Amino acid sequence: MFEVLSVGFALLVFPGFGFLFVCALAFHWIDRRVAARLQGRVGPPWFQPLADLVKLMAKEDVLPIGAHQAACAVLPMASLAAVLTAALYIPVGRYPLRAFEGDLIVVFFLLSVPALAYFLAGWMSGSVFSIVGGNRSLLQYFSYEVPFLMALVGPAILSGSWSISAIAAWQSHTVWMALVQPVGFVLALVGLIGKLKRSPFDIPKAESEISAGPLTEFSGRKLALWQLSLQIKTVVGIFLLVNIFLGGSAAGMAPFPGLHVELLEAVFFGVKAVLILLVLSVVGVLYARLRIDQLVSLGWQVLAPLALVQILAVVWIGVG
Amino acid sequence: MSRITIPIGPQHPALKEPISFLLTVEGERIVESALRIGYVHRGLERIFQDRNYVQNVHVVERVCGICSHVHTTTYCQGVEALLGLEVPPRALYIRTLLCEMERIHSHLLWLGVLAEHIGFTTLFMYTWRDREIVLDVMEELSGGRVAHAVNIIGGVRIDLDRDHAHSILARLDELERQIEVFVRIVQHERTFQARTRGVGHLSAEQVRRYCVVGPVARASGVDVDLRRDAPYAVYDRLKFRAIIAQEGDVWARTMVRSMETIESLEMCRQLLTELPEGPLAVRAPRRVPPGEVVSRCEAPRGELVYYIRSDGSDRPARVKVRTPTLTTLMTLPDQLRDVNTADVPTVLSGVDLCIACADR
Repeated sequence: MFEVLSVGFALLVFPGFGFLFVCALAFHWIDRRVAARLQGRVGPPWFQPLADLVKLMAKEDVLPIGAHQAACAVLPMASLAAVLTAALYIPVGRYPLRAFEGDLIVVFFLLSVPALAYFLAGWMSGSVFSIVGGNRSLLQYFSYEVPFLMALVGPAILSGSWSISAIAAWQSHTVWMALVQPVGFVLALVGLIGKLKRSPFDIPKAESEISAGPLTEFSGRKLALWQLSLQIKTVVGIFLLVNIFLGGSAAGMAPFPGLHVELLEAVFFGVKAVLILLVLSVVGVLYARLRIDQLVSLGWQVLAPLALVQILAVVWIGVG
Repeated sequence: MSRITIPIGPQHPALKEPISFLLTVEGERIVESALRIGYVHRGLERIFQDRNYVQNVHVVERVCGICSHVHTTTYCQGVEALLGLEVPPRALYIRTLLCEMERIHSHLLWLGVLAEHIGFTTLFMYTWRDREIVLDVMEELSGGRVAHAVNIIGGVRIDLDRDHAHSILARLDELERQIEVFVRIVQHERTFQARTRGVGHLSAEQVRRYCVVGPVARASGVDVDLRRDAPYAVYDRLKFRAIIAQEGDVWARTMVRSMETIESLEMCRQLLTELPEGPLAVRAPRRVPPGEVVSRCEAPRGELVYYIRSDGSDRPARVKVRTPTLTTLMTLPDQLRDVNTADVPTVLSGVDLCIACADR
C-alpha cells in the first residue's frame, strides 16, 4: 500500500507532473519577465502563465474542415506524455525516479517525440501555414539534433556511463563537465535553443511569416496542452543540461556544518537551472531570427564539425 | 516538388494594413506572386470634391495615419499657390519642423516593423520606445500624436516659445544618442545583416524604370530628394545632405533611413534655433480662382504629389493624390521573384508600404 502511494506521489507530485507543472509555469514567467526587462518593458505578473493556461482550457476548441480530428487530439497528448516520461530519468536533487545504464539515449529520443508530433500536427491540421511550419520544423530538427546528441556524447564517454544520474554523480567527485568540455556545453545550449524553438531559432513558428506555424489551427484545450508540453520540455531540457554539464545537484563543495545537505543540494540545483534559463532568455533577446537555410548551414558547417572535434578531443586526451 | 499557394493577407500578422499577396511556393522558394490592393479604399478623392477647401484640410490629414502632416502641407501649399498667398516665414519654419519630426517618427516606426518581421523583437521594442520622444514633442506642439491639424491654408495654427524650443532641443539630443545605438546595431549585428543583406534587391536601372522615389530609390544609388532638388517651405535655407547608398537591398534601405533620421534631427535643430519672429498665418479667401496646380513634397516614403484643379468656387473640381507607395508597389512582383518565403515580410517591410495612402 505504502509502495503504491509513494510511487503515485512520485509520479504525480514530486518530482513528477505537479513539480514539473509548477516549474514550467515559473520558468515561463521568469523567461518572459527577464526578456521584458531587457527590452525596456515591464513584463507580465507572476500568475500570467497560469492565467493563460486556464483561459485556453476554457476556450472553444475548433479545428478546420480537412484537419485530421483524431490525430490532432492525440498529438499534443503524445508530446506531453513523452516529455513527462523523459523527466522520470532526469535526477532532480540527489536521486532520479528511475535510472538504468543507457537512459541518456532513451531521454534523448523521448525528447525528440514532441518535435515529431509538432511536425505531424503541421501536416494534419489542414492549413498552408502549418504545412510550411511543419516542413521547417523537420529541417530544423535535422540541423540541431545531431550536434546536440554529439555534445551529450562527450560527457558520457568521459564518465564512462550512458546513465544521466551516473554522469551527474561522476562530476560530484571530480569536476563539472562544462569546465572540461566548454565547447560541448555551448553546443548543447545552442542545440537546446533549437530543440525548444526559442529565438533566434523560432523558425517553424515565425509569426510574421507563417502565423503560428504548425500550431496555427489549434485552439482551446489542444493549444493549452501544446503550450504546456513545450514549457515542460523547456524545464526538462534545462534539467538535463544541469545534470550532464553542471554537476547536477552537487554543490561542488563540502556542505556547511549544521545545514541540511539535501536542502542545500536542491537550492544549488535550482540556481544552476535558473542560470541556464537566464542564458536562454538573454540569447533570445540578442538576435534576429535566422532563416531556415541559414540554420541548416550553421548546424552542419559549424556546430556538427565542432561537436566532432570535441568528441575526438575527449577520446584522445580525456580517456586515452 | 509540389506547389502550394500561401495567402499573405488581407489579414496576416506581418501586415499592419490590409493588402493581399498570393504566393505560389515550391518548398521555400517563391515562383509566382500576385498582388491585390484596394482593401482600404475610402473614396477620399471624391469626398474632396464635396467639401470646401478649408474642410478638405481635415480630410487630407486622414489620407495617411503616419505621414498625415506632409499630406496637409502638400495640399495647403497647392491651394496657397492657386490663391497666390505669401505664407509668413515663421509658419513655414513650423511646417518644416513638423515635417522633419514626422520623418523621424515614420522612419523609427519603420525600423521597428522591419525588426519585428525578422524576429528581432528587442530592436522593435527599443525603436518604438524611443519614437515616443518625438511623438511627445509633436503632441505638446499640436495636441495630436499622429493627426496634428497644424496646417491651415495660409499658415499654421500652432506656435511655440523660446523655452519650449529649448526643451525640445534637449530631448532631440537624447533621441540622437538612441538612434546612434540603432545605427550601430544595423551596422554590426550579424543576424540582422544575415536577414537583410541581398534581400529585396533593386538595381538603379529598375528604380528608374518603375519611377521609384524616396529612401528606396536613394538606397539603390539614385540621387533624388525633393527637399534639395525642388525646395519647398524653408528647405532652401537649411543645410543638409541627401543620404545615398549603393547596395539596393533592405540593409541599404535601413542604413539610408537611419542616417536620414539623424539628418532630420540636425534639421530640426536648425529650424528651432533659427525660428524667425512674425505672424503665423495670413487670411485666405474662401473662393479660389480657376486654375490648376501640382504641389510636391518629400514625404517620409518619397515624393508625394497633389494635383488640384479649381473652377472658381469654394470647392476643388478635382484633387488627385499620387503617393510614393504606388511606385514601390509596382516593384514588388520583381522583388518577390525567387526569394525565400521567410524573406517575404522583410521584402514587404523593406519598401515601407503605406497602404492606406496608396488606396485612399
